[in-house]
Amino acid sequence: MIRLVAACLVGLTGAAQAESDALPFALGGDFSLTDQSGMARTQADPEGLPQLLFFGYANCQEICSATLPLMADVADILAGGDLDLRLVMITVDPARDTVADIGPPLARIHPGFIGLTGTEAELQIAYDAFGVDREELFVDPEHGPVFAHGSMLYLLDGAGAVQTLLPPILPAGQIARIVQGYVGPAG
Amino acid sequence: MRHNRVFAAFLALSSPFLLAAPAFAEGQRVQLRGEIIDTWCYFSGVMGGPEAVVGSAHHTCALWCSAGGIPVGLLAEDGTVYMVLQIEDSDESAGGDTQMRLASHVVSVDGMHYERDGLNYLVVSEVVQDDDIQVLSHDDFGVVPPFAVPEDAP
Repeated sequence: MIRLVAACLVGLTGAAQAESDALPFALGGDFSLTDQSGMARTQADPEGLPQLLFFGYANCQEICSATLPLMADVADILAGGDLDLRLVMITVDPARDTVADIGPPLARIHPGFIGLTGTEAELQIAYDAFGVDREELFVDPEHGPVFAHGSMLYLLDGAGAVQTLLPPILPAGQIARIVQGYVGPAG
Repeated sequence: MRHNRVFAAFLALSSPFLLAAPAFAEGQRVQLRGEIIDTWCYFSGVMGGPEAVVGSAHHTCALWCSAGGIPVGLLAEDGTVYMVLQIEDSDESAGGDTQMRLASHVVSVDGMHYERDGLNYLVVSEVVQDDDIQVLSHDDFGVVPPFAVPEDAP
């Protein structure tokens, strides 16, 4: 049943359509942040790999995010076809997602995950580029602030240009097919 | 406190989502009628089948999810789901007053339809008619999920 429902959303065109549509959204731009190793990192991937970007936070104890594992599943599916996809999360909680702290939770989800943090001003540039709003919903007395934040996944090319955006409610296989439609056949 | 814990439970199951509100290029004007749904529960199946996560049975959960940033969708009469990026002046996909007020409601809308990667996106220019909740699914399913209503709720 879920597959039938998904078909209603996704339609029959899938990845093939990705190449024919002009991007209808003004998204993306330059940013400069710091990764979990303390190295500066911009919107461009140092190795020129395609990137799947999400805005979220790694150190939340209450929320079992569905999107970060979904991203990992997408990367694993594509890796099975010899297509490397860089997973990147830009934090919306820099107070807890510090350089020292952002990496380990992400590494538990996928070893190649890149976590980016920075100053409020540095991060705001990235939020503005992608139209991301963040809001502290409440403070869990045991685990701290809980945030609502941008939910879209963004596919960036190796230079950091936005290729498309994807709602994180799609199955991993469907996202992988769409990504593959942009970055080309595996192998 | 209790509400916070229930809310956290929803978030744990649903993840906190707020859709960005990007600028748009071309689209196609459409008039649609359908239910404003909670897309995460509808597509994930974690709370039950599609019939159980629409209408009155899922209204409370839909409110929790929208408040937590889960993007809303429009389930059109032909079964197509449109990811709603904006409703009138509320440039949010979830959690705004308009999105909360319309949760589970059947509405007629005028808006712009965008298609990309085979996905359907909708910017609602105007809610032409709001028919409130029309799908009385609680008759068959009760409250879905049952813990959507806190035990200590009045």
